[in-house]
Amino acid sequence: MLALTRRLGERLVIGDDIVVTVVEVRGDSVRLAIEAPKTVKIYRGEIYDAIVAENKLAADSQNVKQLSNLVINGDLVAKNQNTPRKNR
Amino acid sequence: MLIETTNFGPLDVAERELLRFAQGLPGFPGETLFALVPHRENSPFVFLQSAATPGLVFTLVESFAFFGDYEFEIGDELACGLGLSADNPPQVFSIVTIPENAAEMTANLLAPVVVNFRDRAAMQIVLDNRKYTTRHRLFPQGWPSRKGTGRDE
Repeated sequence: MLALTRRLGERLVIGDDIVVTVVEVRGDSVRLAIEAPKTVKIYRGEIYDAIVAENKLAADSQNVKQLSNLVINGDLVAKNQNTPRKNR
Repeated sequence: MLIETTNFGPLDVAERELLRFAQGLPGFPGETLFALVPHRENSPFVFLQSAATPGLVFTLVESFAFFGDYEFEIGDELACGLGLSADNPPQVFSIVTIPENAAEMTANLLAPVVVNFRDRAAMQIVLDNRKYTTRHRLFPQGWPSRKGTGRDE
């Protein structure tokens, strides 16, 4: 890992097409401006982690079995589809 | 194309029918091809089965079937990249997680799966909206009650 110190207004250039600029520093918050190609996805780290974690949970094929059981127990699913707002 | 699956047995799916996630999904970057397996007739649920990994399957739900006021904006860049337009609007799904007590199943509204069915292109996008989380209950009050109907199945 590379750790660099930058001051307000200074930039980092990553590869040929990503530029990160420090635009504000206040207390323990740093505001960054990122210029990157559209194909580069940028996430807040903790949000990305949460989505990866939820995807891993959701990828368990136990989910499929659960939903299959649900159908055998009645048509709750189809019923609910017709009244989506009732359960909110 | 024959797809081996743990849950549904072998599936014969035409290659042009597969959904392509060009960038994979968060946590599954190498998984780019999926088949959609219907749950059953008129169900808002559908299974997203990996073409490469037999045991990898997500359960999706049509987001708007349960969350009528769900909303988010798809930026021009993303719409363009996915081939979406006013003439070819996206279909929106949420990935569902089902715990042991299935009534507590939740949908990930923070990271919807946006699908262009015309071109079979899809992407799980991450919203920049603090209103939504990875876990919204589909049945916040538990199962809709329908006791005493004498149903046998």
